[in-house]
Amino acid sequence: MARALVTGNYAAGYTLSLAGESNREAMGCAVGAYPITPQTEIIETVAAYKFSKGRMVAVESEHSAMAVCIGASLAGARAFTASSSNGLAYMVENVYMAGFYRLPIVMIAVNRTLGPPWNIWTDQSDSLMLRDTGWIQLYAAAHQDLVDAILLAFRIAEDHRVLLPVLVSMDGFLVSHTSGVVELPELEQVERYLPNLDLPHRLRHEHPVTVGGMTFPHETEHHRKGMIDAMDRVPEVLREAIEEFEPVFGRRPRGAMAADFTEDAETVLIACNTMSRTLKNVIRERRKRGEKIGMIETRMFRPLIEDELRAAIGPAKRVGILDRNISPGSGGVFWREITSALQGHSDVLVQDYLVGLGGGDVTPAIINEIIDDLVTRKRAVAPIWKEVAA
Amino acid sequence: MTEITLFGRGGQGGVTLAKLVATTYFLRGKYVQAFGVYAAERSGAPIQAYVRISDEEITVHNQVRAPKHIIVLDRTLIGPHMLAGLRTDGWVILNTSEAPEAYAEVFRGRRVATIDATRIAVENGLGTKTVPIVNTTLLGAVARVYGLEVTDIEAALEEMKFGGGNVPAAKTAFDQVRMVELPGQPIVPVAGEGDERVLSLLDERLVGDEPTIHTGSWASRVPDRHELEPPCNHSCPAGNDVQGFIQALAKDKVDEALAILLKTTPFPGTCGRVCPAPCMDACNRNEYDAGINVRELERYTADHGKLPLPTKPHRKQPIAVVGSGPAGLAATYHLARLGYPVTLFEAGGELGGVMRTGIPAYRLPREILDREISFILRHGVTVRTGARVDRQRLLGLTNEFAATFVATGLQELRALNLGNLEPEFVEQGIDFLDHVRRGERALRGLDVVVVGGGNTAMDAARSARRVGAASVRVVYRRTRKEMPAIAEEIDEALAEGIQLHELVLPLEVRRNGSKPLLVCQRMKLGEPDESGRARPVPDTGPDAQFDLPCDRVILALGQSHDLSILPEGAEMHSEDGSVLLGLSGSPVLAGGDFATNEGTVTAAVGNGKRAAWHIHRTLTGEDLFPPPAKPLAAPEEISMHVFSRVPREEGVEMPPELRRRSFAEVRLGLVDDPGHRPALVEANRCFSCGVCNQCDRCVSYCPEGVLVRDGVGQYRFDYDYCKGCGVCSSQCPRGVIFMKDL
Repeated sequence: MARALVTGNYAAGYTLSLAGESNREAMGCAVGAYPITPQTEIIETVAAYKFSKGRMVAVESEHSAMAVCIGASLAGARAFTASSSNGLAYMVENVYMAGFYRLPIVMIAVNRTLGPPWNIWTDQSDSLMLRDTGWIQLYAAAHQDLVDAILLAFRIAEDHRVLLPVLVSMDGFLVSHTSGVVELPELEQVERYLPNLDLPHRLRHEHPVTVGGMTFPHETEHHRKGMIDAMDRVPEVLREAIEEFEPVFGRRPRGAMAADFTEDAETVLIACNTMSRTLKNVIRERRKRGEKIGMIETRMFRPLIEDELRAAIGPAKRVGILDRNISPGSGGVFWREITSALQGHSDVLVQDYLVGLGGGDVTPAIINEIIDDLVTRKRAVAPIWKEVAA
Repeated sequence: MTEITLFGRGGQGGVTLAKLVATTYFLRGKYVQAFGVYAAERSGAPIQAYVRISDEEITVHNQVRAPKHIIVLDRTLIGPHMLAGLRTDGWVILNTSEAPEAYAEVFRGRRVATIDATRIAVENGLGTKTVPIVNTTLLGAVARVYGLEVTDIEAALEEMKFGGGNVPAAKTAFDQVRMVELPGQPIVPVAGEGDERVLSLLDERLVGDEPTIHTGSWASRVPDRHELEPPCNHSCPAGNDVQGFIQALAKDKVDEALAILLKTTPFPGTCGRVCPAPCMDACNRNEYDAGINVRELERYTADHGKLPLPTKPHRKQPIAVVGSGPAGLAATYHLARLGYPVTLFEAGGELGGVMRTGIPAYRLPREILDREISFILRHGVTVRTGARVDRQRLLGLTNEFAATFVATGLQELRALNLGNLEPEFVEQGIDFLDHVRRGERALRGLDVVVVGGGNTAMDAARSARRVGAASVRVVYRRTRKEMPAIAEEIDEALAEGIQLHELVLPLEVRRNGSKPLLVCQRMKLGEPDESGRARPVPDTGPDAQFDLPCDRVILALGQSHDLSILPEGAEMHSEDGSVLLGLSGSPVLAGGDFATNEGTVTAAVGNGKRAAWHIHRTLTGEDLFPPPAKPLAAPEEISMHVFSRVPREEGVEMPPELRRRSFAEVRLGLVDDPGHRPALVEANRCFSCGVCNQCDRCVSYCPEGVLVRDGVGQYRFDYDYCKGCGVCSSQCPRGVIFMKDL
């Protein structure tokens, strides 16, 4: 384990590379990649790695990047890639393909606002666009969470009880381009943590099959049921992956969600990515003033572990959601999902705040304004659009 | 937690400096964070970067709004807006050549450090030729101001893999930074109601409106244009506009190319065959693939271009020119073109001097020489052949003519005593060549030795071959490298079977029975002599003397002046490349080999031209001498990588087996074929060093679209919007666009 000062992108590219290299005694690894701001440095880092068995394939588009990953993964290789924003949008057809083929591909989404208007800064409209593709989704708040989430991602994806691809998201620039201090793993540790990939349905010369061919409705029904069941098994597999993480890497990664100060909180705020760290600093200050206030960082969005979420909210009277994303005509995507999770279980007030869309700097002052609004709120209203601008 | 804000411009390395500062503290065990504010605007745009340093894990991800310290990479950014949120207990570090006291107003009451990082970076070769990169240099100043050690700088630079000039630059800044606590009360701006933010690029006040930002204000350096002297033009003894005529030829404008040459020389067809072409040695393209074949292009232009109609004299002052060699004819040509009635005096029966008598026809066909002389004469020149001018006649000319130019060449031939021999056994090369030209020499079956290393030696050797010699040996006391002959002519001679004996000095001819033998001494090279060439000294080893079979010796050891034409007491002094004779009548100038002994047709042509200008200035006061030369377009000014590698067009030559017995021209030049025009290809290889040829690459590459070419080929920078990114300068293939400091 080496303490290093690196960008989030480098940390991601480095960890991905070690994961790929650690499968060298099985079917190796493969990367299909196409650069896009702010993801590019990940691809550069992976491209510079000398794999013993495997390679990066430079392609002409994100659609083909995922196609390379699909083909390699079907052949049994550990496949991974990274993209952002409109690159992910172009990739979508094959993102579904990877999910529905049940391929344990890992992809990094460096969150960037979808254009137009053109914008390179962070919001989560790109990764949340992939909500229904059958991918597990993890959100990493900062550098160390990112490294850990990538290691967990391979472990969960390749577990035979799951066999689903995993998307790991981070904030563009705020993490991807920021140099921060992080413990980077050694190859030997990654090898201990990640067993060789054994894809049960991988293509074999001696047993030719067609994958993804035409089916009748009842066969597709069973296929979808298989995905539902796989998602249901993710919490259990994640718990195991966390338990086995600590002996190897010497620290305990955070789970599907992280609750702070919620035991006695009357007001709970929910956020993810770097915004959750700003939120935590604010809440710590307000707790010092005696306010009964807590927070939850949502680290896993797919599957959304609803009972864990309800337990974390506990006895709170008010819940505020910070959504750095928008589903026009609905509201924040996290808000809709969490509201549904609480339906029939609780009459807690849930208020949505759309904040930091397009990558604006969500400062402690802005979060304080939101909390000031929430703690006095008697009833919830339609999502509140909170302008940040700079 | 310590927070630092850096102010710089896109492309200056501000984010990297933030990372360097963070790395310095990281290596001291701190938690750190470094990031920039990224924006769509790139090079030259004001940017900010931030550093956080803490003893605990850093969980803040916002922009820094209340920095303890600020670091400014670009002095043009310095202003009161930097005070917003700035604490009073830190340091302001400025990249500027000025002392901290220069900022006593804006930063009053604050601790200010200044360092001329730009100069230090340039001195250490950091950055590109258009944009110096100052970040590693500034690290040195930062380390000193923050109380760090030189070892911290070295460790951080090594960690981030900065070597070379970065380390000494940072150390220099560490030593040179000036730190002052400015007097007075600090200005602490108070944020307006609900406005606690530092103005940044992302601020609503700077987005969404009409583009009112004149991005030209972001520039710290801006491009400008200048022309440089192409090395070919600089090295041409005739003063030809080599780059100019080749660029015309490149556009397939051969008549225009010829007109450019005719401004300076009446002998493009001759020089295009016999010039040693120092321009080809000077050509910058030698540093890339192979220099331009200028000689063949000049010949092509002369052979294919259409001669203009000659002018006629319109001035009253008659001029006399004595001697019809290249200097005399060139002076005649330029004087006639200036409108003077010129009378040309030639002692012999034919015009041309050494061009006719000394250069064999297989190198310079007579019809080419005749064509060029005829063109000169058609400018209304009066010719007097068989008119030897002695010193008495010269004094007479100064009374009849408004000015006289004497260029009678070199008439005295250097000799070598090889013993008591019959007269026909040893012959001077110049005489031999003249006899060959007249068809008066046959050397059938003889062993010939030519002594010398110049063009006359080569011409004599190759002519001897052509008139039947059984063997021809050239002996030279230095090595091939020191031979003054044109390199190509040496190659051609060797291809024709002529043997070259280097480091050999003939001593005497000895008879061995009926067969004469030339006794030779082996030489070796010693210290340089006054000409700068290594001095040959006798080799004292065994076998240092040897014999060569030899029926005939031809001497080509050079020539010297015959000064008998000069009146007694004539004082000679040089002025603008001409030699003036101090006589009582009208001005008399001397030139060509007679005065300068430069030894080439091309040098003589230039000399004759300058004499003509000199006479014109004396008679009219009009000065035609060009202004002082511009700075030379050195190879490093040329962006060679933008050019494709193209092999040099060498031209066609007759195979050696066909030319050994023939005086037909050996070189046939650049021959146009259907579908392939080598002259055009070769002209287009020219870099056009230091001279804009309107390639428009700068316009194509300007990322801001602020560089435009108007209808008449003038380029204009819109400095209101030019951010000084330097792309045009780095893309200019020929060094015309340079960056100047504001």
